[in-house]
Amino acid sequence: MVAPLYTTDSGLLFHAGKILVVTVGLPARGKTHISRALERYLRWAGIKTQVVSLGDYRRKTIGGAQKLPPDYFTLGMKSPETIELRQKVLEGCEQLIWDFFNAGGQCVIYDANNGRREQRRRVSEKFDKEGIHVVMLESICDDPAIIERNIRSVKISSPDVCSGHFLSSADLTLPPLVKYRSWNPDLAVQDYYNRIKGHGKDYETVDELDVPSIRIINVGEKIMVNNVRGYLQSRIIFFLMNIHNRYRTIYFARSGHSLHEHSYKIDADLSDIGWEYAAHLKDFVLDRRAKSLKERGLDPKTSRLVIWTSARRRSHHTAWPFMVAADPKQQGGPQCNVKVIEKPQMSEINPGVWDGLTVADAKREYPEEWDRFLKDPYTFRAPRAESYHDLSVRLEPTLIELERQQEDLLIIGHASVIRCLLAYLIGLPPSEIPAIEVARGDLIEVVPASYGVHSQAYHFWDGPGRTHGEGEGGYGDRDPNNFYENYAEDTREKKHKVGYGDDALDSSEQQVREV
Amino acid sequence: MSTPPITDSPQLAASDPPLQSRDLDRVNNALVALKDTTPSVTGSGTRSVPIGAGGSLLRQFDESNPSKITSQAATPPRSVVGIGGKVEKPDYSEAKIILAMVGLPARGKSYLSNKLMRYLKWLEYDVKVFNVGQLRRSRANQKREQSGVKEDHTASYFSHGNEEANRRREQLAHDSLEMLIQWLKDGGNVGIHDATNSTRERRAYIERRVAKEKGMALIFLESVCDDPEVIAANVALKVSMGDPDYKDMSPEDAKRDFLRRIKEYEAVYEPVTEPHLSYFKIINVGEQATVCRIHGYLQSRVAFYLMNLHLKPRSIFFSRHGESQYNVEGKIGGDADLSERGLKYANALPDLIRDNIGDAPLTVWTSTLRRTIQTASFLPYPKLTWKSLDELDAGVCDGMTYEEIELAYPDDFANRDDDKFNYRYRGGESYRDVVLRLEPVIMELERQENVLVVGHQAILRCLYAYFHNLPQADLPYIKIPLHTVIKLTPKAYGCDEERYTLPIGAVDTHRPKPKTTQPGSPSKLGTGRQYYAENI
Repeated sequence: MVAPLYTTDSGLLFHAGKILVVTVGLPARGKTHISRALERYLRWAGIKTQVVSLGDYRRKTIGGAQKLPPDYFTLGMKSPETIELRQKVLEGCEQLIWDFFNAGGQCVIYDANNGRREQRRRVSEKFDKEGIHVVMLESICDDPAIIERNIRSVKISSPDVCSGHFLSSADLTLPPLVKYRSWNPDLAVQDYYNRIKGHGKDYETVDELDVPSIRIINVGEKIMVNNVRGYLQSRIIFFLMNIHNRYRTIYFARSGHSLHEHSYKIDADLSDIGWEYAAHLKDFVLDRRAKSLKERGLDPKTSRLVIWTSARRRSHHTAWPFMVAADPKQQGGPQCNVKVIEKPQMSEINPGVWDGLTVADAKREYPEEWDRFLKDPYTFRAPRAESYHDLSVRLEPTLIELERQQEDLLIIGHASVIRCLLAYLIGLPPSEIPAIEVARGDLIEVVPASYGVHSQAYHFWDGPGRTHGEGEGGYGDRDPNNFYENYAEDTREKKHKVGYGDDALDSSEQQVREV
Repeated sequence: MSTPPITDSPQLAASDPPLQSRDLDRVNNALVALKDTTPSVTGSGTRSVPIGAGGSLLRQFDESNPSKITSQAATPPRSVVGIGGKVEKPDYSEAKIILAMVGLPARGKSYLSNKLMRYLKWLEYDVKVFNVGQLRRSRANQKREQSGVKEDHTASYFSHGNEEANRRREQLAHDSLEMLIQWLKDGGNVGIHDATNSTRERRAYIERRVAKEKGMALIFLESVCDDPEVIAANVALKVSMGDPDYKDMSPEDAKRDFLRRIKEYEAVYEPVTEPHLSYFKIINVGEQATVCRIHGYLQSRVAFYLMNLHLKPRSIFFSRHGESQYNVEGKIGGDADLSERGLKYANALPDLIRDNIGDAPLTVWTSTLRRTIQTASFLPYPKLTWKSLDELDAGVCDGMTYEEIELAYPDDFANRDDDKFNYRYRGGESYRDVVLRLEPVIMELERQENVLVVGHQAILRCLYAYFHNLPQADLPYIKIPLHTVIKLTPKAYGCDEERYTLPIGAVDTHRPKPKTTQPGSPSKLGTGRQYYAENI
């Protein structure tokens, strides 16, 4: 787990201290990609983290390249004005870092080239003196294909490409270089190449052994670690070891309706409706996947889908139709290739003493706890229950495994678990996790992209028990039970939901659902 | 951004009845009230109650609501009724890893491979070390028994110039690799090839051989050490800890010969730099590490584990919470306060710990449950509260006594005794679930220095089993008595153990496995070098 496997009064990690991660690398080596991924991960884990980007700061305070002196980026001697300007930008950036630490921040990722040894030494001595742990994070790329991919996806990608998708907040802060907006992509790549060509000459790789460093070569092909100590630092390494940028899709769906929806302990099996739902889910996923695999030129019958379920019966049994479809002994051979893995770490949030209570019961029996819960549904832990924060901690190893996973993955889980994982992937602040809406009958499709993810929901099923507020056939108007797991559905004004995609059911039906 | 929750300060004066008994009363009343009605579990008007194994509600639910399986399939999905059931071990059959060690003698190769084996076995991977030195010795023994010829295994045997010996050593390396591959084919997960593998040529040979097998990943693990003190300590350890090669030599002669052997290896040693290979390189355990071409989650976890190890001397203390009200009443689970005797223990604990470590720094870890927080409340050290250290969740049986469970569900109860490690309480956890939950705790424990864990019986059993390399079947029966501090001091090949029992009475919460022999205190514990490779 990254951060608070445990809790401290200050909200900072007990023995992690304050950390400054200094990125080092030539342009288009994926520094910003790594910085943003790390920020997303650490924030999700509840660590107050901020990326401070020198480039963004310069653009904000001085303006784009056209407003800079002509020798600002070129090599060789610089005019006194340029030297002064550069110094100003540097100092302003460092001030931002101090400001964040002084305001109670724990980790800053300083996103800049930092390609000179002497420059790095200055930064590291300066912050070290104030008791901040400095770690150099170098990204080295000697594979032209990777560099070109970086240029294409980051520096020149047009905003048009992403329209219609729900993007992470990180994307919005990173506009592609304005200059290239209307260019032919190939020419733009060539132009950018020419711009950065000379930079390699002055570059000094991180070979100083007295400063803690992490060096990543060709996006994780090789990672070298020197003298890095500390809890948070070691988690950062583990995270960096596991991220990759291969194309894959992650699907999320809730488990089917069960015989008893309102008790954690009873671990009830699927109801008839639940079994029906499971069959629908299988058909819809296989169908969606067949389309997307075809586009990628892959065979849906052999390309494997990994399915993770919790160890709860309703979750595991929702995957059952997939196992049947993959059975090689059936007539006509297997319809698909799946591997189902049961993960006990993926059980729903534990409601503790509130298990099975109605809201009225909980208010009456635990008035004080109820107030605290309403104030902060993310961190509050009812007696013997888990908070969403506890749940995130429990899910952290699963999340790392999810990052590492290269095959397509379907997670059949519980609303609370899907919320936590989705919040990480989309980059939502932890405090919003309890309010993310995950309706039964939606398939959420997440495709990691260069600075975040594309995510869409597809509405495929509309039976009873879709949400806890609606439904017919004896499933109650607004079922007051199990509010802990279903808190999101009860917080109408705070709702957060993933946008629907084209393959979803009729929009008229959606309207009905969206109240 | 929100701050993590602050744990409630323990309330030792129990003026209010503990929350737990209040809840239970309510549950019991509700159960009595509902006794003769069929539970309507989905109706909106019904007041629902938490369902436990006490009373008849759970049974009624199971009988009135059979789940229908609509799919036609050869094997129907598992269906659990009652209070829980046995859970199969997860399928690890896709994990096939060959971990080939690289490094000069006395660089801690065996230390790392033993650590790794302990960690992976604890996580239920099937791991085996194939030690080439061991194979060499057992072959030589065979030869001596059959023909009476004693092979010379002093340093000259390891000289690069000794052609006959070279040929024999090649053969041994080849044979042990073949055995390893066969073992993986037969179902093993991680085979550790414990040899020097110190030349590019040897590594290329291994690579070519493994490439012929489908689905096997090859990773080299190089241990580099340039700290003369550590090397000297390793040499001394090797000579004094009964290395079989030096059985009949004086320590001085043994040391001299061993240093010569190192020289012979150094002459031909080529560090791993081949850019196409998968490898971990660990330099001076804990200082520098390189990870190259590591694919797969298990592999990255192994790399991460290796990075977290350190060799600084330290001790790990385990203590259960003081005796609780529930212990006195014989109930399991819950979140009860300490009993009077438990409180006495909490008061006595600070002196016991101080006598042991003096002024050395120490961190205290507790769970989020009252009984551990109260037990640690008088300790003058920094404290951390871990949710992951909470006691095994007994699900529907939480708050019951073993007698009550046995009375209500005699068959299920017997099932648990039959296979305790794999038994998952309905709505709760199995020991395996707890091991998985504790994995990040172990990772952190490896990184830390002096730590006192104030925990629970099942939790400490799992942690203890990791440090002493005990098998899963014995794990749920490890004796972790109340009011006792267990001190573990990690050494090169295991842990030293001391136990301090305070003379404050407490109930015995240990339930031995019925009708079988008890695995007593593990007999082979200690710091001696153990060759895990079996005799071949």
